[in-house]
Amino acid sequence: MKSDIAISVSDLEKRFDQKTAVDRISFETRSGEVFGFLGPNGAGKTTTIKMLTTLLRPSSGKATVLGLNVVSEGRKIRERIGVVQQQDSFDQGLRTETSMDIYGFVWGVPKEVRKRRIDDLIQRFGMQEFRKTPCADLSSGQRRRLQVAREFVHDMDLLFLDEPTVGLDAIVRRNVLDFFKERVKGGLTIFFTTHILEEAEYLCDRIAVINHGRIIQVDSPQNLKRRFGSTKAVEFSLLEGTSAALEEKVRALEGVSKLAQEQSGSYRATTSKPEAVIPGIYRAAEGLRLTISSIYIAEATLEDAFISLVTDEETRK
Amino acid sequence: MNVYARLVYRNLRANLDRITVFFELIFPLFFIFIQGYGLGGIIPPFEVGGVTLSYPLFLAAGAVTLTVINSGTNAGTQLWFDRKNGMFEQILMGPFTRAQYILSIILATLILGLASSSLVFLIALPVLGASLSVTTSGAILVAIAIFLGTMFFGTFAIAISVALRSSETFQIVSTFAFFIFLFVSTVFYPANLAPAAIRAASLLNPLTYTTDIFRAGLFDAITPTIVLELGVLSVEAVAMFVVAVLAFRRIRV
Repeated sequence: MKSDIAISVSDLEKRFDQKTAVDRISFETRSGEVFGFLGPNGAGKTTTIKMLTTLLRPSSGKATVLGLNVVSEGRKIRERIGVVQQQDSFDQGLRTETSMDIYGFVWGVPKEVRKRRIDDLIQRFGMQEFRKTPCADLSSGQRRRLQVAREFVHDMDLLFLDEPTVGLDAIVRRNVLDFFKERVKGGLTIFFTTHILEEAEYLCDRIAVINHGRIIQVDSPQNLKRRFGSTKAVEFSLLEGTSAALEEKVRALEGVSKLAQEQSGSYRATTSKPEAVIPGIYRAAEGLRLTISSIYIAEATLEDAFISLVTDEETRK
Repeated sequence: MNVYARLVYRNLRANLDRITVFFELIFPLFFIFIQGYGLGGIIPPFEVGGVTLSYPLFLAAGAVTLTVINSGTNAGTQLWFDRKNGMFEQILMGPFTRAQYILSIILATLILGLASSSLVFLIALPVLGASLSVTTSGAILVAIAIFLGTMFFGTFAIAISVALRSSETFQIVSTFAFFIFLFVSTVFYPANLAPAAIRAASLLNPLTYTTDIFRAGLFDAITPTIVLELGVLSVEAVAMFVVAVLAFRRIRV
């Protein structure tokens, strides 16, 4: 019978000399879900992936992947997983299409299957224009596309994605994420790390937030936003465009922790008391004879929840 | 298909630069045809293992064994490229073991060593062909010499590739090390006529035994010491293989 649990981790720890990179983490992921792993740089995300993909041996604790022990059954695990690493990986002496073909060959994929899949993937990832280009001559974005596409030449039950969309433009990134979603509908399980929180929100069914090697929370993106997105923001625009004097006055308002200007030209004032801040912004604008053209309370984003979780953790430490 | 065959095929396709391989073949041919004939006029024929050889012939046989050093460099380069380009970790996260991966590099190196030495040998035939008398036992000795020599220098290059952190350092150190191996050996001159210090150093050098065994097989100049030389070369090749495997197991990912 197929297990409902894809990954089970219990008190998993990894130490490098005196440094603890992953500190007794425990979590489970279900088959057929996209499980996100979010954390600041150096939080322990990649080390966790390396242990789950059997590249690194845990210092202590237990982990099973697809019901198999990561220490004693590494080879069996690796036969059933795919990995897109955070770092580039490519065969510099080969052309794009050939490198996909040889990668499939190494995995033991039959020739006819390789050909069909590679043609599909090249089409799907928009790689036609560089299918004959040597890997060494590809741009970083093209190389990343190749790296992601190449992993789908072979079969797998579980895919580890470590920051897979780094270097991709917005359109390609959305295309890649939609491709992942399709594969998940087809039964694939994905373990996904990213620093782009919109991606996690778009793709993940559940998210674990990790900081300093420890898991702080595991929940759905919606619940994380609801529970920890208490810090909100007031977004407003001026008819006159921008005003340095108004910026100074808004920053001085009680409850405003941060004021930033968005690309659109509007302002975003981060605050835990938006209802109290709005009248203050109006008064400041009137005093400067400026006109507010729009003002509203922005909904908490996953980023707000993430920042809140991580900064709370830092404060507690 | 067998997992080793798949990995070896990949190593040969993905990590071997055709231009580099081309120049690695040119290099020994340059010695054979330019240096051999250039110095042949001023160096009189001399005796090696009971057989009198002209200098071009002596050098041609030595130059063929140069290919084992070139193939060895390729083993280190294969591993270096894979580490630099992220394919080392990518392969190890696939359905392969570290042992399979490292053995596949050594196998690819052996194939390359045997193929390139055969090719150089064929091209050098106009020089060598003059007095070739290869017996069955001689052919076996030739094959063993190339096999063990490639094994030693391949695993040596893997070991230094693991130990060094930048490709530039790897290139400089391997070139310097192979330069010493080359000139403190019997490739260019018979070591028994060299000063005592060089003669002693050449007795530690696996390229000396590779070349001596190769020449002995090629010119049917087999002496009683050949068994001892085979033994020393085998021990050195196996020892270096163990060192390379131990070094490889310590690579941190």
